[in-house]
Amino acid sequence: MNLISFLNSPAAKKLGWALCGLAVAGMAILPMTHFGSNAELFTLTLMLTSIGVAINWNITGGFTGYVDFGHAVWFGLGAYVTSMLMAISIKLDPVTLEETVEADGLGTAWGPVPAIIVGALFTGLCAAGIGRATMRLKGPYFSIAMLGTLVAVREIVRVAEPITGGGVGLNLPPYINRPLFYYIHLVLVVVLGVFTWWLRKSQFGTNLIAIREDEIGAEMRGINTIATKVAAFSFSGFSTAVFGGLWAYQNTSVDPDIAFIETRTIDAVLGTLFGGIGTVLGPILGSAGLFWLKEVLWARFTESHLIFQGVLLILLVMYMPKGIAGLFDTRGTSLATIWSKWMPSKDESPDASPTPKSGSGKPVVDTVATSNEGAV
Amino acid sequence: MDQFLQALINGVALGGMYAILVLGFSVIWGVMGVINFAHGEFVMLGAYMAWLANNQLGVDPFLSAPFIFVLMMGIGYLLQLLLVNRVIDRPHLVSLLVMFGVSIIMANGLKLIFSADFRRADSSLRGAYDLTDNITLPVTKTAVFFIALAVLGGLSLFLQSTRLGKSIRAAAQNREAAQIVGININKVYAITFALCIGITGLAGALISPILSIAPFQGPPLTLRAFAVTAMAGLGSVKGALGGAIVLGLIEATVAVYVSGIGTNLAIIASFVILVVALVVRPQGLFGGLRPVDATAS
Repeated sequence: MNLISFLNSPAAKKLGWALCGLAVAGMAILPMTHFGSNAELFTLTLMLTSIGVAINWNITGGFTGYVDFGHAVWFGLGAYVTSMLMAISIKLDPVTLEETVEADGLGTAWGPVPAIIVGALFTGLCAAGIGRATMRLKGPYFSIAMLGTLVAVREIVRVAEPITGGGVGLNLPPYINRPLFYYIHLVLVVVLGVFTWWLRKSQFGTNLIAIREDEIGAEMRGINTIATKVAAFSFSGFSTAVFGGLWAYQNTSVDPDIAFIETRTIDAVLGTLFGGIGTVLGPILGSAGLFWLKEVLWARFTESHLIFQGVLLILLVMYMPKGIAGLFDTRGTSLATIWSKWMPSKDESPDASPTPKSGSGKPVVDTVATSNEGAV
Repeated sequence: MDQFLQALINGVALGGMYAILVLGFSVIWGVMGVINFAHGEFVMLGAYMAWLANNQLGVDPFLSAPFIFVLMMGIGYLLQLLLVNRVIDRPHLVSLLVMFGVSIIMANGLKLIFSADFRRADSSLRGAYDLTDNITLPVTKTAVFFIALAVLGGLSLFLQSTRLGKSIRAAAQNREAAQIVGININKVYAITFALCIGITGLAGALISPILSIAPFQGPPLTLRAFAVTAMAGLGSVKGALGGAIVLGLIEATVAVYVSGIGTNLAIIASFVILVVALVVRPQGLFGGLRPVDATAS
């Protein structure tokens, strides 16, 4: 009783932010302590990557209400364009045993900074183009169209062998500096976290929420819904691609199956749902928690740890649809409105017009509220 | 000309195979409003059962298929009882995410049991029959095509003329009204789900001599099922056949005329069809059990 009222108070919110600040400060000084070995920094960098991808997924999936099942495509595209611009191949002469380094991919052999920036900008443009087409679709249709995009882009990359290296992939100039990558990721995630906090308060972010709650209503209020949601989607793709490019550089090689792996989407969706969809801190806390849970499970059950992920997804969706954030904020209806976009048209007669019904949101709010009470 | 005829034959045969592959997905969505994200994994489960029977006992997949149908119906019924029934009243996203969880569990479970190696069952119906000097008829796919026609016809007849079939259609069109006239909706859903999972497992058994089976081969099949359903309309048996043949023809044409990378392009083709069909004609090409509009909020 007292705990719940405390968790809902502004003081709890301040405490939460203070803890976050403390966590960031702790992570910043970590490489200087004796815990910060290269292996640990590498693991933490991967955690920061998954947090970054989840924050970006939340901008489309949580704020705008478009649940993207193919978000890994932007990560992979960023990784691949960066690699194509930077790729080299080392050839060993069989007679003289001399190594020659040749530019591979697009044959440009750029440095990492311009390559990652160009890769991310290109991905942002692609996201704008694809989003312009797929964001016409609603609910499950959008989700599956994005899953299709992921599968199709992966195959396109596999087919375009002259510039992508086909199924074998590309090699990048090796550069191992764990602390540097760690700090870059930490700064990026902090900047992105603060940016989403600002976005949530800004007029643009409010427009996104308006689109999520009632797209036609938002349009009637004079919001250019298409430009707004496509801009958010494009930013989300751009920002994910930055993490993709960094990942490719750190990994020193890419191939289609690992760059476009579905698990990355699953992690982003699951992490965000775990933390609380449509909130600022949710994807950060959720992805961090999920990452460590996976590490623990992976160490214990190497072969079967992904099965637990499936079980966790089912349990979360059925019994804790608001995630961790639902424990703090019992007023929110953000999830209910995302859910409502997906409400099946069961009770419509076959010749019903496709115009939305004003009352259709109400029962959905009820179901989610009831299920959430069970969780708290 | 020969090349064109060959593409036509391959396409129609492939289309028949896709028709039986997507039927269960389409009907579950049409009747229950559940998007079975684990559809491809159920196909794989059926295919692995057929492979196991073939590998251990030497049974031909075409002979073990009816038994797999019954077994998979049981699995479908249990899953409906334990899981799907609990989320059926919730919005699409909930059931879709739950089925997404099921697909993760199934794919990794299959990997744990059967390893990630590619498998293929042996059937006595194999090889190619020479129609003319340059045109061949793929024997296994043709057999699957005719079985698919029989299953589709049977299901259609079941939905049109039996009392149970009529209650399934009624439940798809208007759930409340169906309940008012005394249809036990839970029973109808349980039967529909069991039947569709059974058909999906049957399809898996039938394709086990044709496609290589591996635990993570499910998602491309789910994607194709979605493409065909989006093209055809929800729960439409005729539409499933029509849409599947269109997809089969496109894939076969691409594979015949583009050598080497045709199979990769085929997946790209099914995605392009999906998005174009959804954007251009969101209500589907054929009338289904339930109206669909992909752009309505």
